[in-house]
Amino acid sequence: MTEPAKILVVDDEPQLTRVLRTGLKSHGYEVRAAADGLAGFETFSDWHPDLVITDLAMPNVDGLELCRRLRAISQVPIIVLSAKGEEKTKVEALDLGADDFVTKPFGIDELLARVRASLRRANAPATTQMTATVLESGDFHVDLESRAITVRGQPIRLTPKEFDLLVYFIKHAGKVLTHRTLLAALWGGNYVEQNEYLRVFVGNVRKKIEVDPAKPQYILTEPWIGYRFDPGER
Amino acid sequence: MRRPVLDQRWAGYVVAALSVFTLTLVLKIVGTHINAATVSLTLLLNVLFIATRWGSLPALLASILAMLCFNFFFLPPFGTFTIAATDNWVALLAFLVTAVTAGQLSARAKKRAEEAELGKREIERLYTELRDAFGRASHAEALRQSEKLKSALLDAVTHDLRTPLTSIKASITTLLDEVRGRVNGKPIALDAESKVEMMEVIDEETDRLNRFISGLIELARIEAGELQLRRRWGTIDEIISAALARAELITRQRRIELDVEKELPGVRVDERAVSEVVYTLIDNAAKYSPKGSTIRLTARRAGDEQIQMTIEDEGQGIPTDLRERVFDKFFRATRDGDITKQPTGTGMGLAIAKGIIEAHEGKIWIESGAGGKGTRVLFTLPIGDEEVAEEPQYSVSTIERR
Repeated sequence: MTEPAKILVVDDEPQLTRVLRTGLKSHGYEVRAAADGLAGFETFSDWHPDLVITDLAMPNVDGLELCRRLRAISQVPIIVLSAKGEEKTKVEALDLGADDFVTKPFGIDELLARVRASLRRANAPATTQMTATVLESGDFHVDLESRAITVRGQPIRLTPKEFDLLVYFIKHAGKVLTHRTLLAALWGGNYVEQNEYLRVFVGNVRKKIEVDPAKPQYILTEPWIGYRFDPGER
Repeated sequence: MRRPVLDQRWAGYVVAALSVFTLTLVLKIVGTHINAATVSLTLLLNVLFIATRWGSLPALLASILAMLCFNFFFLPPFGTFTIAATDNWVALLAFLVTAVTAGQLSARAKKRAEEAELGKREIERLYTELRDAFGRASHAEALRQSEKLKSALLDAVTHDLRTPLTSIKASITTLLDEVRGRVNGKPIALDAESKVEMMEVIDEETDRLNRFISGLIELARIEAGELQLRRRWGTIDEIISAALARAELITRQRRIELDVEKELPGVRVDERAVSEVVYTLIDNAAKYSPKGSTIRLTARRAGDEQIQMTIEDEGQGIPTDLRERVFDKFFRATRDGDITKQPTGTGMGLAIAKGIIEAHEGKIWIESGAGGKGTRVLFTLPIGDEEVAEEPQYSVSTIERR
């Protein structure tokens, strides 16, 4: 077995860090905890964990600031713990580069699923992105040079913008992408408030790739936040 | 609306003419030997009356008619409009000028007075309108503030309910995972110690939820003014010992220093409630001070009518600007005030303590501890008044004790 993945839990609630430490350890992860963003950042710098789970509301350096500081020095996957009513902060965290979120209260399985997905994503794309001309992910095969895409082995025809959108999704599979992030990536900074643009394009892409566009299985909607792409099992 | 105005206007002229004729008639009947000066003054008086009552134009009519009547009936030769003596011409002219001028002046004065009255009424109306508008605005502002406060309180409450729930849910699902893993033949590594830890978390967090809910109920009761104090005669010693006994576990790693003045008078208080306050303050002192430090409790007389208690710790203290706010419900210096420390309470303890002390007509406040370090919470309790004691037997026992 390979080295256990190292997870840093940052939360000011000692009882929760206690539970997460035990819960995650029992699934084979190595865990350290920090009580606020400042301590979290210090531990990160010393220990170089593979994943960070952080609360948003904390004294001193809060979760948002931690995301900002971590992104300045690292691409480590970040999962944000948020509560209902913190939607704005949550979206802000995702915009700042957090990868995923779990809403409190949560079951340990839910958190573990997100942890696994984030770790997989962090490890896997490095190889696919290296080849540069071909993207292979789940049910999708993309030739970036000839701009050809096949889904479940079937070729599909996309407009240039639809192609860019789908490639962006594939490259960031599993990660929660906010409306703002997607708009900025595909249309540039002036369009970040034009959510309806995105809705139209996502709708069109869904019609071409989904088995049942009314019940999408690839491009999943995260209400009021954005989308998450699931490339499907291969 | 228009008709009465028209009538009013004509009425002025009619009255002007009638009054002049009637006066002339009366003067003629009263005596032929009447002095011309008296006649002219009487007629002038009438012009003034018409002017103030009906305005300038009827007054002008009255002036001219009066002049004609004066000339016709009272200036010789009588019964003609001719005048014999030259000085009578002068008198007639003087009469006319005086009548017209006085009439116009008084009519104008009346108009001014009316305008002033109208202006005053307009100002009053504007004032009332403004006052109402201000009233409505400040009411709306108060409503908005109270809505804001309500939503802030709701946020605080939901956060405090959800935090223990999150720990409970995470613990219980971890335990479930372990059981299910065993059943599925995919066991996970959760040793006995970890299992106990998860269960401890669940146990502690359910207690925490329960404490929070009890606190909420108590706060609601205090705010509704429904705090039922069961006042009895008791001693500060008993109150402190009860609180210390309850706090034994949490103060195990602190030194307790007790300094209670001898011969303290009895107090007529709700002992359970005051003991709760003392417990809360000891609990806070223990929570926010390092292990091995000292918590100092003192009680002494403050003047003839009060007892003052202090609970002091050697922690990091509370900044001056937060010393009042910590008594606000759900305010926590550790979370809301940039003080970094791990333990957090419910944010209700001090609010409840304040409610209890104030219900006893006492006061509670915070100072720096000895040498400017740590936190010192002080509260006063009035020594009860023996005469208003509800149960006579307690009064008797207190008198004996004193």
